[in-house]
Amino acid sequence: MTEMLSAADESAGLEKLHAMRCTDGLPVVIPTRARVDRLVLATGQDADMVLGTMGPAGGTATIEKVAVAAVMAGCLPDHMPVVIAAVQAVVDPAFDLTEMQSTTHCTAPLVIVNGPARAACGGISGGFGALGPGHRANASIGRALRLAMINIGGARPGESDMALLGHPGKFTYCLAEDEESSPFAPLHTSLGFTPDDSAVTVIGAEAPHSVLYSPTGDIAGDAKRMTEVLAIGLANMATNNAQLRNGAAVVVLNPEHAEVYRKANMSREAVQKALYDLCYQRPEELKRLAGGFAPKGEDRGPVHSFRSHEDILVLVAGGTGLYSMVMPTWCAGPHANRYVTKKVELDVYCEVVIGGTATA
Amino acid sequence: MRDGISVANLGIPAVSLVTEKFWPQGDFVANSIGMPGLPRVQLPHPTGGTGRDNMRHIAERVVPEIVAALRKAS
Repeated sequence: MTEMLSAADESAGLEKLHAMRCTDGLPVVIPTRARVDRLVLATGQDADMVLGTMGPAGGTATIEKVAVAAVMAGCLPDHMPVVIAAVQAVVDPAFDLTEMQSTTHCTAPLVIVNGPARAACGGISGGFGALGPGHRANASIGRALRLAMINIGGARPGESDMALLGHPGKFTYCLAEDEESSPFAPLHTSLGFTPDDSAVTVIGAEAPHSVLYSPTGDIAGDAKRMTEVLAIGLANMATNNAQLRNGAAVVVLNPEHAEVYRKANMSREAVQKALYDLCYQRPEELKRLAGGFAPKGEDRGPVHSFRSHEDILVLVAGGTGLYSMVMPTWCAGPHANRYVTKKVELDVYCEVVIGGTATA
Repeated sequence: MRDGISVANLGIPAVSLVTEKFWPQGDFVANSIGMPGLPRVQLPHPTGGTGRDNMRHIAERVVPEIVAALRKAS
């Protein structure tokens, strides 16, 4: 059972939570017993069921503690399946949460949602401004994960979270893939799930970097040039992907850019392989600019930024236009900043009534 | 810090070297694992990337502290 705090009223409670460094700096919904119980009920799980351990503090992420974070973030019961799956992803040892929370790098968990949960869990946006303000499910789900990382994982700036500046995605960083606009199979089906499954893929990532490409109508030429521009954004010499190498990264194609690849008959795998081929540095440049991160030994041709094309996540989201996004990553930790995908278990969740309205 | 903890858990005396800017994080990690007295020696910040000569100078200054911490830990 979680320890209960008391305050004279909600306003005093909010100030208490701020003073205890239990917030992200913004106002939170006060996690009263009734509000937390409602979200626990929505999960269909026991309150004390353990999802895993969250570093660096080593706190135990139970359903109830995650529900506390979700209440504070403003989540609805419908959001809980995705919140729980996102927590399951970051507590997977392959995610290296302790190291990620502690690093000086600017990294935040980007939550990518695929499958029916996109609609069933509150309407998670993969369209215009999906990573910006105005999308309640995106904002609340990503924020719930962050508040869990603060209050269960113990990440606090300058004390245990040593990010030199961080980035705004550390408040919330969640979007859905626009599967309907994508020429590719849904991302999660490339990662072992079926189209009817729902899944979250979580990766520690930098803030999104905009990549401008203006198609010319030359089908083959556009695909080639756009890939070149994306590769520059993904692993230019300023990135950890170029200097540290062997991590993962994300490419979010807007539907217009995805259409370029559709016209060129390029699958997701073909795009990944083309990006892999173009993401490299010359050894002499790494030695000149990358200091202690430069590879040791003899120069043996191009030094690839990625171990495999599969380390480059390619998805479709956003409004249509000339801008796609790339998210380079930290590339460190024991597993070199891998992404982790977890199934969203929609079947176990309960219908919860809010103000007379049933939500599934 | 965590490397030092891992080595200590193997039964090998260990001391963690932590720069002054990261000392509070060292406090956090030591406390979070229930080992507030974990042997640590403070280095100036930054230490890495300051050149071989400076790092040698720092090393010469802190070696006695490291040896003393290891003797105390063993």
